[in-house]
Amino acid sequence: MFRLDADPTLLLETEEQRQLRVVLSDLLAETCGPETVRQQTESPRGYDEVLWHRLAGEIGVHGLALPEEYGGAGYTFAELAVVLQETGRVLCPAPLLPTVVLAGQSLLSSGDRQACARWLPGIASGALTATVAGFLHPAQVTAERGPDGWVLCGEADFVPDGEGADLLVVAARAPDGERLFACEPDATTCDRTARRVLDPTRRQGHVRFRGVPADPVGEAGQAPAVVDAVLDAGRVALAAEHVGGSAHALDATLEYVVHRTQFGRVVGSFQAIKHRLADLLVAIEGARSASAYASACLAVEAPELPVAAGAAAVACTGAYRLATAEYVQLHGGIGFTWEYSAHLYVRRARADEALFGTGDDHRLRLAGLLGLTGCTD
Amino acid sequence: MSGIPEPAEFRAQVRAWLTGVAKERTARQEWGRGDDSVAVFENWTEAEERAHTDRIRDWERTRYDHGWGALGWPPEYGGRELPSYYEQLYRAEEDAFDVPRRTEVFPVTQQLVAPAIRIWGTEEQKRRWLSPMLRTDELACQLFSETEAGSDLAAVRTRAVREGDGWILRGHKVWTSGARIATWGVAVCRTDSDVPRHAGITVFLVRMDAPGVTVRPIRQMTGGSSFNEVYLDDVLVPDTDRLGPVGEGWRVTLTVLAAERLDSGGLGLDNADRALDLARHLPRPLTGGERQQAADLFVRALVQRLIGLRVTSALAAGREPGAEASVGKLHATATMRATTDLVQQLLGPRLAADTGEWGTFAWTEHLLGAPGYRIAGGSDEIQRNILAERVLRMPKEPKGAER
Ligand SMILES: Cc1cc2nc3c(=O)[nH]c(=O)nc-3n(C[C@H](O)[C@H](O)[C@H](O)COP(=O)(O)OP(=O)(O)OC[C@H]3O[C@@H](n4cnc5c(N)ncnc54)[C@H](O)[C@@H]3O)c2cc1C
Repeated sequence: MFRLDADPTLLLETEEQRQLRVVLSDLLAETCGPETVRQQTESPRGYDEVLWHRLAGEIGVHGLALPEEYGGAGYTFAELAVVLQETGRVLCPAPLLPTVVLAGQSLLSSGDRQACARWLPGIASGALTATVAGFLHPAQVTAERGPDGWVLCGEADFVPDGEGADLLVVAARAPDGERLFACEPDATTCDRTARRVLDPTRRQGHVRFRGVPADPVGEAGQAPAVVDAVLDAGRVALAAEHVGGSAHALDATLEYVVHRTQFGRVVGSFQAIKHRLADLLVAIEGARSASAYASACLAVEAPELPVAAGAAAVACTGAYRLATAEYVQLHGGIGFTWEYSAHLYVRRARADEALFGTGDDHRLRLAGLLGLTGCTD
Repeated sequence: MSGIPEPAEFRAQVRAWLTGVAKERTARQEWGRGDDSVAVFENWTEAEERAHTDRIRDWERTRYDHGWGALGWPPEYGGRELPSYYEQLYRAEEDAFDVPRRTEVFPVTQQLVAPAIRIWGTEEQKRRWLSPMLRTDELACQLFSETEAGSDLAAVRTRAVREGDGWILRGHKVWTSGARIATWGVAVCRTDSDVPRHAGITVFLVRMDAPGVTVRPIRQMTGGSSFNEVYLDDVLVPDTDRLGPVGEGWRVTLTVLAAERLDSGGLGLDNADRALDLARHLPRPLTGGERQQAADLFVRALVQRLIGLRVTSALAAGREPGAEASVGKLHATATMRATTDLVQQLLGPRLAADTGEWGTFAWTEHLLGAPGYRIAGGSDEIQRNILAERVLRMPKEPKGAER
């Protein structure tokens, strides 16, 4: 049975983390204002490549949680979570989540030292963008051993940054079981199509593999465990982003309602509105707590991680849903306009649920992990 | 004791001590046996309330006398000056042992009133009251609410008039939990009606056995009577039992109320855990919807504990806790409601009619008690006002005339 046994000090932000947050929020304020974010999403690659390299180089974001032997800084996921809160807060479209968290974790969790040594330094330095296929949604990819090594055939959909990422880590069916492969496909053997997406700040693509040369990562049969580990890391990362996005929605809404006047008073003086924002604060503080705990569990590889990650996913998707709905509603007509940013957050919140699972998906999984199933025999 | 033990070491010490003085709790593991009460407010007669209080008090004294009581307090009050979250570490261990469950008057005395005395009391009062209260030789109740002063507590009309070196109290308090067993009542009184109302309040500690104090139980929706009305008919209180300066009673009151909000963060967790046990042991498979509902309650309870941990660790680190300190009570009352909802779904007709089965109809006590905490200690609506105004800094509620 699950028992909460957390060192409470892990739930507090350290001084180092606070400084990181300040540096990052300054940089993002300068580079990811609401207007610039839109421009970035309309650029060919969908994000600001200069900023990408500044994040990797100046601050070392990409390598923060990667081991030093692979070009990382050897901090933990707790530090990376600080970054993701801030990038989530401004909807920074840089593909940190697929590159650093999903692909980075899949290489690390595979325990394949050769693959790690080959790819992780590029991820840490910002030279590579990367993603995973066949992890979040089932894909039909098979791997065969050809005369010149392994090749991949089949297709994967809903791949985050699937059109543009340099490196793909793919969960594929090999003759000896499900196995992970890494490839840097080009157009001669791979068709990659950007999907039209609900959330323009997080691109998704359809990938058709037509005999893509690929290198196996880890051992045969090990893939399901790696996929599980990556999904947990993904949930924890997404939770941190959602905390940041929710906090932005609350701040922006608060700012609006204490200045907007109707009926001769600011609308923020109406109790109906005060109470709704109070409820939102309760939800966000809950999300923040669940996210901090899950990050701490991931940082120390605690056995509670699957439960903590699932709980954070429930708390944070719920808070983000509520926050983004209130963001629109409490701004009135302006909240419903294209120009105003609120809809970008609605898009992010809902598209993330589609990609990583709704609160109810996570609840159902948690119930299984915790035996909340009644007597099933 | 010198130095602060590491948390793990501390917990091992607690466990070792508890093993020597208490029995390990088995009922919780053995589903279907032992006490199935999930009462939020007990339905006891006065005699039962006294008997239970004596049992709990015996245990609190044992703790205190062996140095496991006033953990966060300085040695002169029987404590060890440990960081505040050590109390939580202690409780986490104690949970596994069969010791009496504390009723409301105990946290009110130890966590609400004693800290207020430490802040506002004179040296003489601290010497006289603190150790006995921490040891629960003395128990305190809150004589705050009146029929016309509930959420709007500063509207209290109970009068305190100076007479010689004492005061004469006259008034009527309601909804006083634990008044039958408390030895002291913390009374919020009006001492001056010619000044703005918050400036005319003074707080006194009243002996509950003083002449002129009459306690009458009020029956609650649970059927029991854990709260009372208290008549103060010309009760003489020495000036040495006045807590804080004359006219500063509102600030003293706020100290107690803030502690109450902080202390409310743990409400409902035991019963949420019980409801989850029910979801595990129900003799049929749960539907998908029921699993989701159960998992949701699990997440709520986990998050509630985490919020509590964030508060205590902020305090331990010498930081002022932020928003997390104020959201706890609202979170807790929502957990209690979610517990009722899950149990309702799982038990079906056995919640409404007593089949005699263990752990079924007993849940009516939770169902009927839980709404009380949405009202007591600052209603949900007042908590939302507090969050909106103090944390989010939104405009204050408009006041009616003469407020
Ligand atoms: C189980 C229980 C135990 C209690 N124990 C004690 C005790 O030990 N000592 C003690 O002194 N008191 C105690 N109380 C009393 C409790 O503190 C009051 O009941 C509470 O403060 C509400 O006051 P009221 O009952 O006068 O309701 P009212 O203040 O009249 O409230 C009625 C309704 O109006 C809402 N409301 C009031 N003001 C506002 C506002 N500004 N904005 C929005 N909504 C508002 C309230 O939330 C409530 O829903 C207890 C109450 C209960 C239920």
